[in-house]
Amino acid sequence: MNKRWSSYKSPGFFDELITEKGKPRTAARGAVNLLQGLTADEMAARREAADLAIREMGISFTVYTEGGNIDRAWPFDIIPRVISTKQWQKVSRGLIQRSRALNRFIDDIYNKQRILADGILPADIVLESSNYKPQCAGMSPRYGVWAHICGSDLVRNDDGRFYVLEDNLRVPSGVSYMVENREITKRVLPELFENYSILPVDDYPSRLYQTLASLSPREQKRPCIVVLTPGIFNSAYFEHAFLAHGMGAELVEGPDLTVGEDECVYMRTVDGPVRVDVIYRRIDEDFMDPEAFREDSVLGVPGLMRAWKAGKVAIANAPGSGVADDKVVYAYVPEMIRYYLGEKPEIDSVPTYLCMNEKDREYVLNNLDKLVVKPANESGGYGIMVGPHASAATRRKFAGLIEKNPRNYIAQPTLSLSTAPTYCEGSIEPRHLDLRPFILQGKESWVTPGGLTRVALVKGSLVVNSSQGGGSKDTWIVEGKA
Amino acid sequence: MTMLSRVASRLYWTARYLERCEDTARLVASYHMLIMDIPRGSELGWDVLLRILDAEPQFYSRYRVPNEQNVVKFLIADRDNPSSIAHAVRCARENVRTTRDVLPEESWELVNELHLFTRDGADKAIGRRNRRAFLEDIIGRCQMISGMVQTTLSRDHAYRFTRLGHLIERCDMTTRVVDVGVMELMERDSRFAAIDPLVWSSLLYSLSALGAYRRTVGPLLDGTSVAEFVLKQGEHPRSVLYCLRGIREAAKALSNNEEVLRQVERLRRKLRRLHVEELNPKQFHSYIDDFQLLINQLHDLIDDTWFHPENT
Repeated sequence: MNKRWSSYKSPGFFDELITEKGKPRTAARGAVNLLQGLTADEMAARREAADLAIREMGISFTVYTEGGNIDRAWPFDIIPRVISTKQWQKVSRGLIQRSRALNRFIDDIYNKQRILADGILPADIVLESSNYKPQCAGMSPRYGVWAHICGSDLVRNDDGRFYVLEDNLRVPSGVSYMVENREITKRVLPELFENYSILPVDDYPSRLYQTLASLSPREQKRPCIVVLTPGIFNSAYFEHAFLAHGMGAELVEGPDLTVGEDECVYMRTVDGPVRVDVIYRRIDEDFMDPEAFREDSVLGVPGLMRAWKAGKVAIANAPGSGVADDKVVYAYVPEMIRYYLGEKPEIDSVPTYLCMNEKDREYVLNNLDKLVVKPANESGGYGIMVGPHASAATRRKFAGLIEKNPRNYIAQPTLSLSTAPTYCEGSIEPRHLDLRPFILQGKESWVTPGGLTRVALVKGSLVVNSSQGGGSKDTWIVEGKA
Repeated sequence: MTMLSRVASRLYWTARYLERCEDTARLVASYHMLIMDIPRGSELGWDVLLRILDAEPQFYSRYRVPNEQNVVKFLIADRDNPSSIAHAVRCARENVRTTRDVLPEESWELVNELHLFTRDGADKAIGRRNRRAFLEDIIGRCQMISGMVQTTLSRDHAYRFTRLGHLIERCDMTTRVVDVGVMELMERDSRFAAIDPLVWSSLLYSLSALGAYRRTVGPLLDGTSVAEFVLKQGEHPRSVLYCLRGIREAAKALSNNEEVLRQVERLRRKLRRLHVEELNPKQFHSYIDDFQLLINQLHDLIDDTWFHPENT
């Protein structure tokens, strides 16, 4: 074992690859052994090869800055994260269970509202949320599924268990990077694949295609599927293009679509209008139809909601799905699983304090230095306060915000995010990470083997978002021992 | 497999901008060479280039004197000038960014490199010293992109719209160059007639037609034959006739093409009836004016038919 690895320690945290005794975990043994055998120069060369591959493959993401938007090369760490199949199967079952319950919940809320009538969840939390869209009431999409694509953020605590941190049901992104990360690893560390059987991830676009095709309102051998993007200036444009390309679907912008008098959606082509069956929507619902939502939207398609409600087009995720993507509603997911499915949750949620409840609020205000406080309604890691790392002034600011608008804040205990060895300027150091698997639900359900592992590249940091200095790792689900 | 109108339109404009970029570079390069041969006092100023590109109002709104420095800066490096190289490259890049999927993989890389090269080199190319090397590099890079498209792009809609844009821009540029060339020479003082062949050869060079002219017509240059050649020599890919044939071929494979094809026919008929030797400079100029009007109408028809079908 060379020195860079033998001195590796991650005290107080669960490490994904190395046990407390400094030995590689069973599933990771093959990978760690091989990486240990590489000299410093060899590691540096592999790192360089990865940078080159990223540039060649044109993998980028967009950062919003004051001086305009900048395309940045995708930050990638070459040491993979390894999880055993056995462990993953359990997580995967838990995620499917969760997604089923969430979809039952959304369908219930826009129809009978049984869960509210039965007093499991306070009605005002749901109905007063900006994520509840009254325009969607009375709809029941095919199979009762609203959120066809769900990206759930998981973290592993120091007890070694996976917890769901949040469910992204609106327009979750990141899956293209999951696929590309594997591609990069295959290029720069091909030897790693010799003795392993690693579950492949590159069939995601075809799985997505199958899911979307199963929603088509017309019985057709090859339904017309489009990916609706806000355009080149969106931070996830790379992914929109990637998925459209992978599915052989058209990448469309709002002005490319029209709704006809027959309430069908058509795209403008050089051969005239062509009817669209399924829209994979990558724009926020507030902007998708100026007739139904924000009037000032120029990105949307006037009449799209009418077409959807008339059953002439399927939209994934269905508008209104965001009602379950709320950090207050999150706290009730274990209840939902019991209520709708009569099952015991197979994957843990993080205990959540709702500032709207007086008792919880009092606890939160008294323990700000121990808790993570989050706005109920933001994504991308914005507006979060990590208590133990925050200054007294920041804590005071958040106390004020909570008292002013308690509905808008939740708090959770600070989890000890797991770490994994990460190549940092020539040495191997522990860095915190999370995991975003993607759950597809149409006629059938499916979970990506693994998902996108995001890693906080800054020492000690817990923020993994790529917009705030995060990177990513290839994630392996491996069979058997290596 | 059909194509989104928006994608078709972006491909068309990409091709137009790239062609515009190459043609402008050729024009400035040939003039740059010509000016060194012209005796002092012959009154051949840099403002000719502004007239060719119809850019005088644009130019005088921001510059006072049409001297070499200003005109070259305006045409090469001025990002606010819609007929500058810098502007054309930037627009081409923006269009390719969103149509990468339907173009060969290298397209984006090459166009992006052209963009970086222009961004870093344009300002340094305003002075005479680096100018020619810069322009030749621009021409070379544009040709590399055209060649790559020609040899690797499937003959599908993407190819057809790229071709339409490329050829219509070329028609436009060729007619402009000939027009101004004829006007310049025919109106000028006969004292400087000795330099006429220089101007004609420069004109042919700017249309990369000099070698072809010598081989087909002969080594002696006169205005009438030069104009006839660049307009009507159907074998030469820069001639207007050749471009019109290419446009017809591309449009034939598209749906709803009737009006566009009729317009192409109109242009071809007008070209066939042209006999340069029978026209005086003024008549020639008005002929070209009419011809350009027909080209603009052709563009509008393409735009209405395939890019904005709901307008018709």
